[in-house]
Formats: sequence, C-alpha cells, structure tokens
Amino acid sequence: MPLIQDTSDFFDETGNMAKFTGHFFSHGLRPRFEVKELFAQCYTIGYKSFPLIGLTGFIMGLVLTMQLRPSLVSYGVQSELPVMVGVAIVREIGPVITALIFAGKIGSSIGAELGSMKVTEQIDAMEVSGTNPYKYLVATRVLATTLMLPLLTILGDAISLFGAYIGVNISSVTTIHLFFAQVFQSLSFSDILPAITKTFFFGFAVGIIGCYKGFNSSKGTQGVGVSANSAVVLSSVLIFIIDLLAVQFTNLLGLN
Amino acid sequence: MTTAINTKIKPEDNIAKGAPVIVIEHLFKRFGKNVVLKDFNLTVHGEENVVVLGKSGAGKSVLIKCIIGLLKPDSGKILVFGENVPGMNPDELDKVRTKIGFLFQANALYDSMTVRENLEFPLRRHWIDLSQKQVDQMVSEALENVGLKNTGDMMPSELSGGMLKRIALARTLILKPEVILYDEPTTGLDPVTSREIDRLILTLQKKYHTSSIVISHDMNCVKNIADRVILLLDGVCYADGTYEELEQSGDEKIKQFFEQ
Amino acid sequence: MAKQGENNIKLGVFVLTGLLVVMVAFYMIGSNTSMFGSSFKLKARFSNLSGLMEGNNVLFSGIQAGTVKSIEIINDTTIEVTMVINSKVSAYIHNNAEAAIGTDGLMGNKVINIQPEKINSPLAKDGDLLPAQKLTSMDAMLQTLSKTNNNIATISEALKTTVLRLDTSEIFKVLNDKTIGISIRASLKSINNASDNASEMTGGFNDIVGQIKRGKGAAGVLLTDTGFAGNLKTAMVKLRSASDNANKMTLQLNHDLAYGKGPLHALLRDSSISQRLNTSMENVQKGTDGFNQIVTALKHNFLVRGYFKTQEKKRLKDSVNRQAVK
Repeated sequence: MPLIQDTSDFFDETGNMAKFTGHFFSHGLRPRFEVKELFAQCYTIGYKSFPLIGLTGFIMGLVLTMQLRPSLVSYGVQSELPVMVGVAIVREIGPVITALIFAGKIGSSIGAELGSMKVTEQIDAMEVSGTNPYKYLVATRVLATTLMLPLLTILGDAISLFGAYIGVNISSVTTIHLFFAQVFQSLSFSDILPAITKTFFFGFAVGIIGCYKGFNSSKGTQGVGVSANSAVVLSSVLIFIIDLLAVQFTNLLGLN
Repeated sequence: MTTAINTKIKPEDNIAKGAPVIVIEHLFKRFGKNVVLKDFNLTVHGEENVVVLGKSGAGKSVLIKCIIGLLKPDSGKILVFGENVPGMNPDELDKVRTKIGFLFQANALYDSMTVRENLEFPLRRHWIDLSQKQVDQMVSEALENVGLKNTGDMMPSELSGGMLKRIALARTLILKPEVILYDEPTTGLDPVTSREIDRLILTLQKKYHTSSIVISHDMNCVKNIADRVILLLDGVCYADGTYEELEQSGDEKIKQFFEQ
Repeated sequence: MAKQGENNIKLGVFVLTGLLVVMVAFYMIGSNTSMFGSSFKLKARFSNLSGLMEGNNVLFSGIQAGTVKSIEIINDTTIEVTMVINSKVSAYIHNNAEAAIGTDGLMGNKVINIQPEKINSPLAKDGDLLPAQKLTSMDAMLQTLSKTNNNIATISEALKTTVLRLDTSEIFKVLNDKTIGISIRASLKSINNASDNASEMTGGFNDIVGQIKRGKGAAGVLLTDTGFAGNLKTAMVKLRSASDNANKMTLQLNHDLAYGKGPLHALLRDSSISQRLNTSMENVQKGTDGFNQIVTALKHNFLVRGYFKTQEKKRLKDSVNRQAVK
C-alpha cells in the first residue's frame, strides 16, 4: 500500500520536523550563546546575500511599474502609479520575492553545508569536541536567517521602490520627492508592520528547514544534493503557506 | 568512583597493564528491527590497544559511538573512568569527552576552517580560559607530533588523504586524551601511508600513555597495533585474544578474517 | 582574526543601514498620520460622516494638516470627530473656521476640510470644537443637480409655449410659404441654363465666323438662308425682353430694399412685390424657353450640326473622365 506508506512518511517527516524545531527552542536558545559564530553567520547570510536581493529587488520594482502602467493609463489614473507600486511592493511582492530568493540562496547553502558536514561526520566531530551542534550550527543559522531576512526585505523594498521610481520616469517625469511622498502617503503602519513581521517567520522557516534537511541528510553526495534541493522546495512552499496564514491573521486583527 | 571500578578487574585479563578505563556491560542497541548489539561486554585497561574486528555493518562504529555518547544505547552500561556515559547530561558528557579522543573514519575536518582553526576548535571549546600563547603552543606541538609543522594556514581541501588523516589525528590528540577511539584509521589509504599511520599511532600512544579501541579491517594494521583483538559477530563479543591466538584459531568464522 | 573583525564591521554597517531605512520609513509614515510631534487636537460634530474613518486626512485650506484621530457617537444625530492637527498648521486655525466633510477627488477617500472664515476670531485652542458645515458629499451634489434639472425642465416648458405662440402668428405664414422659394430657385436655374446656352451659342458663332473668315464654303449658304436669320432675330428679341424684365424686377427690388423698412419687411408685407416677382420670373422662364427652342433648332440645322455634335462628344468624354477621376 504505497499510499498508506506515503501518508505515514509524510506524518513521520512532519513529526520529526516539529521535534527538530522543538529541539531548537529547548536546546538552541539556551546559554552559552555562540555569539561569534552568530555574527559570522549573519555576515554570510545577510551581508553576502544583499547584492543578489538588491539586484532582483531593483529589477522587480522596475518591471512591476512598467507592467502596471498600461492598465492604469487605460483608466486614466497613471498618476496613481507610485501609490499602486508602493503598496504592492511593501505589502506583498517585496517580502515574498525576497524570501523566495533568500530561500533559493540560503536554504540550499545551509542544506548542502550541513548535509555534507553530516555525511563527513563533522557534526559528530563537533559534538565530540564539546560543542553542541544545535547551538553552534542550528541556532546560529536559524537566528541569522530570522534576523537577516527582515533586514534584507527592508533594504530590498527600498531598492525596489527606487527601481519603481526609474520605471515611472521611463515614460513620464516625476521628481523623486513627489514619488516617495506619494508612496508614503498611501502607506500606513498597518501596511508595513504585518509585512515586516511575516518576514521574521519566512526567515525562520528558511533557516529551520535548511538545518533540518542538512541534519537529516542521507549518506553520500546524492544525499547532500537531495537535502539542499528539498530544503529550497520545502521552504519556498512554507513561505507561501506562512504568507497565506499571515494575511488571514492580519485580517482577523483588523489590520487591513 | 574509580576505586569502585578497580575491584572489577577480571583475572583473565592477562595483558592488563593498568586499571580498567572502559567497562561495557550488557550493551543493547537496535535500529528499528535490526539488532546491532545484544548483550555486548568489553573491558579496556590502561595503555592497552584493543582492535575490534567485524564485518561491515556488524556494529563496530555503533559501539564506539555509544562509548563517546554520540549514540544512546537501548540498555546496558558504558563506564568510562567509572562514570556511566548513557546516563550523563550534556555538561557531564562534555567533560568526559575531553578525556576521550575520537578519530573519525572520514577525518571530519571542518572544511570551512584552516588546519590551525581545526586544531584550535576543540581547545577553545573545552578549555575556554586558555591564553592565545598557550593555544599556539599546543597547536604547533600537535602538528609537530604528526610531522606536518608547516600546514597550519592551509585549508583541508589542499591536503592529501594521508596528511588529512595526520591532521585529524593531531586534532584528536591535542586535548591529550586518555582514551582514543579510532574508526578505521587506515581505510582509504595506500599501504605505505597506512604503515606510517600505524607507526604514528603507536609512537603517540607510547608518548602519551593512552589506551585505545581501534576498529579496522586492515589485518596489517591489526597486527601492528593490537595488544588484544576482539571479534564482534552478531552483536556479541565472539572472540577475544591476542593477534596470534586468533590467527591460530580453528574456528571457521575467525579464520575468515585472517585469510586474505 | 582580522578578517573576522572586518566582516563584523561590514555586518554592522549593513544592519545599521537597514535599521535607518526602517526608521526613515516609520518617520515618514508617522509624520503623514501625525503620530509623532503633535498633540494639538480639534473637534467637530457632524450629523452624518458619510464614510469618514479614523486615519482620514484633515486639510486646512487644501493643505495636509493632520488626521482623524477618533470618532465617537454622542447621540443619534451627533457624531464627534477628534482630529490631530500638525503643529505647523495649528497656529493658523481660528476657532470659527468651519469643518466640512468632503471627498479627496471624485471617488477618493473622505477628508475633513477646515475652511477659515472672513470674520476675525481668536485662534483655536487645543480641544476646541469647530463649527461644522453641512455635508458636501456626492449625495448633496446630486440633490443640487436634481434641482437644477427641475429648473431646466420648467424653463424648457415655458420656451415651448412661446414657440407655439410664435408659430401661429402672421409673420410665420409668409415665412412658411414655400412656393416663393421654389419658384425663385427654378427661375435662377433657368437663367443659369439660358446663359449657359447663350455662351455655347456665342462660342458656336465665333467658330462659324472664324470659318467664314477663313473662306469656307458653308458661309454663303448661311447668309442666303433668310428663314434661319428671321428665327434668330425673334429669339434675340425675346431674350432681350426677358432680360429687360429681369432688369426691371431687380430695379424694383432695389427700390424696395432702399426705401422700405428692410428686406424682410418688404418681402413679407408687400404682397404685390411677390406677385410681380412671380410674373417676372414667368417671363424669364418664357424667354429662356424660347431661346432654348431656337438653340435646339440650330442644333438640327445642318450647318452647325457638326459643331454641336463634336461639342456633345467632348462633353460626354469630359463627364466620363470626371466620373473616372471620381
């Protein structure tokens, strides 16, 4: 009965993942904190991802503006373009696209790195050397992704809006002052706060999935590849699920 | 605690050089339906080299991983310096691990760090109040011991297999452990390098007066190193004796290992 | 280890930049919604907010001045709106300024407009209640529009009766007499035809004269044919009398125009003129008819037949060409 087997595998995996996440909270977040390693991870995960996030964000803002323009022109409200683009970028597209790119870059690298460490017994070696791998490897990475993704999203949003400004200026002329005045006029805290809050969860999902997949990598180079790949796939799916939950939740709170 | 263990010395341990450092009693370990260890018993004494022979998947690696606390046995006791490893909390485990070295089969050098950082890693982790000068001194001593003095700033990926094994050995020894667990130290190396590693293991053992458990398939290695050979078969200690004793044994299952 | 330190500096710069962006964004949004820096509040009471919500903008003479802080129902006909006003603007609001609920653009959000009054009054203090103007919503505009429509309907009704009365008056009888126009048009057409024919004929004569001059044999025959010449003569006489008539009529018309009270007046009042106009037109018609007969006779005369035939062919060709061009 392959269906029953698949179902039980699915629940098995889900349970293991929940256990892993529980372990992160119960063991990973206890002192002594690996502060130095956390900074090192923040540097690789945050700072080094910035060029990629910046580039994609810029292009996204530019393209979004150019794509939205014709339909706004057909309604005769092209002056509302900055408002439209600003809301779209800040509320949804910025966080989600940044998180997806982040999942692609960081999720896979964490999955592959921890996977190969697992396969070559480096994780065991670490444990033997008096280092809790949950603290040293998992906690630092998960904390780094959780803290860095919101930061990357904010900077990505800013660059995206700049791209949108250029996009607006391709077919008409707007001053940067007016553009940003219009964008911020249309934004409120109920737009920005939920959007940023959900990126913490996106970042956590990317980190914890990457670490889980890496830690449970099967032997051999293929196992490493599989764990890297499934880390990206699973965290991308989770990003969308969290996004869905986030929009429901903010609606529930009346923050729309 | 150690005094309590001393009474457990068994009369048949004819090659005993000192007090028992590792005592394994009634060890059970299973993975799913696969029972790997069932009622396994072993005692290792001070400055004694015990080689564990066995087929692949017989549970040799499982045995030494249980000793260092990487795996938790289902039941049974593993007394290392009189303290039961499976019952330890993480802090106690960290403490006992400073006395046990573990040489991994795949070396397990951190490939994101230089050789020096690899060697510093266990030092900084266990003895946090070391000065930089002390650390440097210990690192260079360890590298000297394995004859690779000038590799400190190289990355593991730049080194050959034999060199990696030596560096791994240096890292295992840097904490001056009293017991060293070797997981197939010569696997994947050419015969010449293998003999070098064998000699290195013996030299360092003499120098630091360590006891060791060695897992190996390499009969040359076994012959060179072993004070005592144990055959792990079907989860139990099937045979126990010196290399010569086992070599001359008429038992079919023992003979398999010596007919190469 | 130096590299680690360098990396930490880069990381620090990166994190600080991010936080700076957040702070700037928060500040900009905060200053839009007057969340920071001002606690100057004004109140206004309305009977209907027509969809005004907390957070909507408050404009002072069209300038962004603050936001709606809270909305509170006092009783079934009174709703109190509290507005937070920017400190920059609050110094210019007098306590008799009128608050009105309006719309930002045609379909936009609701806003509160604070409009200063001309009569001087002390400056508004924190917590003052501003007088509220009646709503100027789309509904109100539509109501006004409907009134205007009613007015227009009344006006057009009145216009209609006036027109009807005008229609039945004497002057329109004359104006409505279509026959005059038709006969004038017909006469003018006839004159046109006649002059066309005349010019054609003259052209024909010219040709013939030219041929005579060049000593062509047909001239002798023409000169001896007295019957034809008599016909030609009478036709000429008739033509002259017709043009004399036309002349007379024009003179009469000119006289009337000159000494009457205006052309329309003359035309409308003097029935004898129209009578005379009709007869002169008839004369013109007759004259041209006779002339046409003569020209037809000429066409059949063997002397000039050839000429007319070529003329006819040419015209046909021209018309075909014109058709082709079209």
